[in-house]
Amino acid sequence: MLIRKDICVGCGRCHPYCPAEAISFEELKSAVDQEKCYECGTCLRSQICPVEAIEESPNVYEYPRALRKYFSDPNAPHALTGIAGRGTEESKTNDVTNRVGPGQVGIAIEVGRPTIGMDLTDVQKITRAMAKAGITAIEPENPFNDMIQDPKTGDLKPELMSERVLSAIMEIKVERSRLGHILRTLKEVAREVESVFCVDVITRLEPGLTIPAEVIRTIEAEGFTWRPNAKNNLGLGRADKRKSV
Amino acid sequence: MTHSLHREGTIDSLEKDYALFIYPARGFNYEGSEPKLRRLAELLYTQSPANMIVSSLRRNLYSGVPREEILASIKDGAKIYCVFNSREQLKKALIRVKEMDEGISVMVSGLIDRVREIASEVGLNPHTINLSLGIQGRTDRIPPSDIRQFTTMCGHGMVSPKLVRDVIRRIKAGKLDFWEGSIVLAGPCSCGIYNPARSQELLKDLVPLYTVNRL
Repeated sequence: MLIRKDICVGCGRCHPYCPAEAISFEELKSAVDQEKCYECGTCLRSQICPVEAIEESPNVYEYPRALRKYFSDPNAPHALTGIAGRGTEESKTNDVTNRVGPGQVGIAIEVGRPTIGMDLTDVQKITRAMAKAGITAIEPENPFNDMIQDPKTGDLKPELMSERVLSAIMEIKVERSRLGHILRTLKEVAREVESVFCVDVITRLEPGLTIPAEVIRTIEAEGFTWRPNAKNNLGLGRADKRKSV
Repeated sequence: MTHSLHREGTIDSLEKDYALFIYPARGFNYEGSEPKLRRLAELLYTQSPANMIVSSLRRNLYSGVPREEILASIKDGAKIYCVFNSREQLKKALIRVKEMDEGISVMVSGLIDRVREIASEVGLNPHTINLSLGIQGRTDRIPPSDIRQFTTMCGHGMVSPKLVRDVIRRIKAGKLDFWEGSIVLAGPCSCGIYNPARSQELLKDLVPLYTVNRL
């Protein structure tokens, strides 16, 4: 994003809207620190500027900077997936897609969340750790795939290393028996990163919204706890008949 | 939306906060979903949500955009996001959604125990759960938990901690009331699941604890 100095009146109203705290005063006018800016567009969408001095940067859709936009602006569909959002449909449509089947767990690693974002050098620490743990396949439509140079090592494309994103979600799927190993790996890599990530575990339910005991035991054994709130797929979806044949 | 499971707050506060998502599945029931989604959106608008957005226009309940314009924007594959203030309101909405039987996936993000009760009462069989195992890494760098109660209501991180502090400052200065402050905070959330009613209650609790110097 950028703020046109010839128009800005220096009122500062846009400053608090920036999640990256990238807007500050420069010679009595507001200016965007291009290094800090995630291109999330919050400042523009807020319509807070009284003189319409806020604009998208002309290079915002140029690779590799465009990744900032795709992974930080929920209104911008990712060029690879066409999905507005940082991940895929994960558990939201699992009643229809059965992506995470019985005996499996989905694991989502929400890098940079909550709020503070993450440099891709940090993201690479996670993808490398996952590769070492034997995870060489990310969910097919997950935009993370577009960033990875070598799935066997978890190396990201080198030209991305100077970029940063407000949030990106790495989604994988493993057999339940491997959940403990993955959680252990995540705990280890958490000591190396300079930012934060959230961990989600997706599992099919047993009747009565019962979480499988094997999943609970594994989570507890690895020293994790789960929040009292969760996202629940209520099982009301179904595939169109012509698709489910 | 993935992040809605990480909404933070006390149990009492989360008792008044249930996000509901309607999600067509690419490659399965996406094509031809437009009329089903429009019917579901029309229904949900009548169920007193605290906030609501349709992904085809992304203008929340307080944006001033006419409902007809939002409904007209719906196309195949649009998603509907809304949030309810109480389990009873959510339950009423789910009874109607179940009756409509449109075959589109429905998610509820909220307290597991409450969702379990509601599902049982409505006769639903939840299929999949997405559990939050919390935050890992440099947690010393994230905003304090009182501020995160607000910022995590927008899963994409569009509500900045600085804006929360700015709203608190403006309320203390008498420039905004609690509701107006909550509507300001709901503005950047383009998924429409920022709950301004819950936010208003949180602001009432929090504002007296902050001094101007701390802002």
